[in-house]
Amino acid sequence: MGLFDKLAGWLGLKKKEVHVLCLGLDNSGKTTIINCLKPSNAQVQDIVPTIGFSIENFKTSGLSFTVFDMSGQGRYRNLWEHYYKEGQAIIFVIDSSDKLRMVVAKEELDTLLNHPDIKHRRIPILFFANKMDLRDALSSVKVSQMLSLENIKDKAWHICASDAVKGEGLQEGVDWLQDQIKAMKV
Amino acid sequence: MASGGPEGSENSEANAKWLDAHYDPVANLYTFSSCVALADLQGDGENKLIVGDLGTGLYNMKLKVYKGTTMLSENTLIDLPTGVVAFLMDTNEPRTPAVAVASGPYIYIYKNLRPYFKFTLPPLEVNSLEQDVWNQVKEDKIDPLTLREMLESFRDKGDKPLSVRSLRYLMLEPHEMEAFVSLHKMQPIKRQTVITCMSTLNKNMADEDAVGCLVIGTENMEVCILDPEAFTIQAKVNLPSVPVFLDVTGQFDVEFRIIVACRNGSIYIIRRDSKRPKHCIELNSQPVGLVRLNKNIVVGCGKELLQAYTQKGKKLWTVQLPAPVMTMGLMDHKSKGFQAVLVALANSEVHLYRDKILVNITKTQDVVTSLCFGKYGREDGTLIMTTKGGGLIIKILKRTAVFEDKDTSPGPPLAQSIKLNIPRKTKLYVDQTLRERENAVAMHRAFQTDLYRLRLRAAREYVKALEASLAPVSADLQEPLNMNAVVQGIGPAFKLTLNIQNTSATRPVINLQISFLYDQTLYSIKRSFFKIPMLVPGLTYPIETFVQSLSDRGISDTIKVFVLRVGRGVPLLTAHIHMPVSEGLVVG
Repeated sequence: MGLFDKLAGWLGLKKKEVHVLCLGLDNSGKTTIINCLKPSNAQVQDIVPTIGFSIENFKTSGLSFTVFDMSGQGRYRNLWEHYYKEGQAIIFVIDSSDKLRMVVAKEELDTLLNHPDIKHRRIPILFFANKMDLRDALSSVKVSQMLSLENIKDKAWHICASDAVKGEGLQEGVDWLQDQIKAMKV
Repeated sequence: MASGGPEGSENSEANAKWLDAHYDPVANLYTFSSCVALADLQGDGENKLIVGDLGTGLYNMKLKVYKGTTMLSENTLIDLPTGVVAFLMDTNEPRTPAVAVASGPYIYIYKNLRPYFKFTLPPLEVNSLEQDVWNQVKEDKIDPLTLREMLESFRDKGDKPLSVRSLRYLMLEPHEMEAFVSLHKMQPIKRQTVITCMSTLNKNMADEDAVGCLVIGTENMEVCILDPEAFTIQAKVNLPSVPVFLDVTGQFDVEFRIIVACRNGSIYIIRRDSKRPKHCIELNSQPVGLVRLNKNIVVGCGKELLQAYTQKGKKLWTVQLPAPVMTMGLMDHKSKGFQAVLVALANSEVHLYRDKILVNITKTQDVVTSLCFGKYGREDGTLIMTTKGGGLIIKILKRTAVFEDKDTSPGPPLAQSIKLNIPRKTKLYVDQTLRERENAVAMHRAFQTDLYRLRLRAAREYVKALEASLAPVSADLQEPLNMNAVVQGIGPAFKLTLNIQNTSATRPVINLQISFLYDQTLYSIKRSFFKIPMLVPGLTYPIETFVQSLSDRGISDTIKVFVLRVGRGVPLLTAHIHMPVSEGLVVG
């Protein structure tokens, strides 16, 4: 970091950069959520299933996020663990209308939490119980029960219901994430 | 899980392979593997579950479609479904498959979950004699009784079987005939067959989303291939028996192979351009399930056996199963390149066999009657099972699950580690052997002397018994008889039953009598002397009498029973019955 960069940082001109992993099963709405968080001029109109992964950026009031938007398809899920080291926070997206695959989401979350790169680091995890607008969606409380989130003791976590198409609930989650990261840095 | 023991670890290991996604014990799905299919019916990338529900077998037959854990739609079926398949009829976009439900002589085609088309099997030829007779009935030339006689004569000698109407007519009572004839005589008679099994065959491409032809097996021992658009029969093969399971590979226009399991316990292999089955595999029992694994045919047989054959009919291996087979299915996990056979057993287990190696056991809550593995929703490795009680079980294969071929060579037998129960020898035994060593001669002599005496005593007693005929088994070779007596009751009235049996091979015994000898102050028997009926060899004759105890002081005595021959003083056999003490009060 050059002297100028440091100066900019102190003055609050340049925001701190945070690497975030966005994980979740396929079709849960990861790319849509990231897209919705981007500034309106950078948003894309049609979203297609992610192949492999893509890197996206967005800024909040205090932080600059770099998001690894991973593909959630079964065959790409083994890519996730290669990026665990870089992640300083995790966004885990759940399709709350897909009751059948809740066990699969739980299984993937458990393997994530037990991974050596994640297990002993106190990184914040933000859960999005997405697709809240659908008729047969489960509530965020029910989702956290089914994923047994209460068993996560050594990490800060938060779950919020969201509707990524309209952008509802996303800001609340990102604000929480920002507070956590700031608290961590201090 | 150290406390779990070997079985516990086995179970947790099995759980480690499958995730329990959904279990609904009251889903009310009664079906078999042939009536379950998975397809992307709405073209939204999510596979739906299509179930032909048998209901009770008479009522409530439904075509149900599930999405995720909820039912999407329900269509009432008129008749029992025998097969449900999803196939692409055309190349129109979007590529939504049609659902074909076979029931009776019809195939109902549904598109977008709405009835679309009904295909009827062409009627079979009618017996010409039968046709003539019914024509005469139409013109009122024959009365119902003559019609019946004529039909009966055709039934026995005609080369073609009679139509359903004639067979029904032959079952009627005479008073019902008139009404039946007047109701049906104006309609033409026809003979129809029923579909027993159904499958699909790609028309000219090997792709997943290629246009498919329906392949059906019928009750009149034929396999037909239908055109996907025009629904005409394109090819027909006659079989020696009724087909029950079908497996189809290849493409209709290029080369195909149909493996058919039949009701006569044989498997036939049909290839393109063959009018007759090319190979035949004879099983030693009825097939319960048929699965093709790459180039091998795996068959579950009635005798708890799982057998594999090559397509030429060579037997490869046999596995003995712990319980009867309920149903079988193919587990084809394409993204992993893993193929195995799922076998649901009657002991509520689902076994997974890769070749002859058992790689996984899954315990289920109930006996599984139908199995289906494939892509359901968005998940590739989903196993859908329905149970005998109508439940629905959905399990998802873990992404990280690996089926390892365990070493199946048997270790040392279990009996090897069981300790033998050999009694310990104490000091008493050692002392005894020392004494025997020192005084062996005296011991031997004393024992021999005692033995002589014993023999003498035994012979004397035996002669005495023979002279008095005291034994309950007759010693006379001419009249082999056998008797035993049973006393029932607690008194003062007892029931005395004598079971007498003639043990000779062929000779009956006649002219026997029974006499009781007892203390007349203690007991009274109404008839103490009577005749026995003729004794047929082999049968046991229970002869009952009633004994009344007279003493009120709790004295019991012996009653003697003699079986006598008329004209001879010496009894043939004797029984001594020790009467129990009477526990009741003597009245009067």
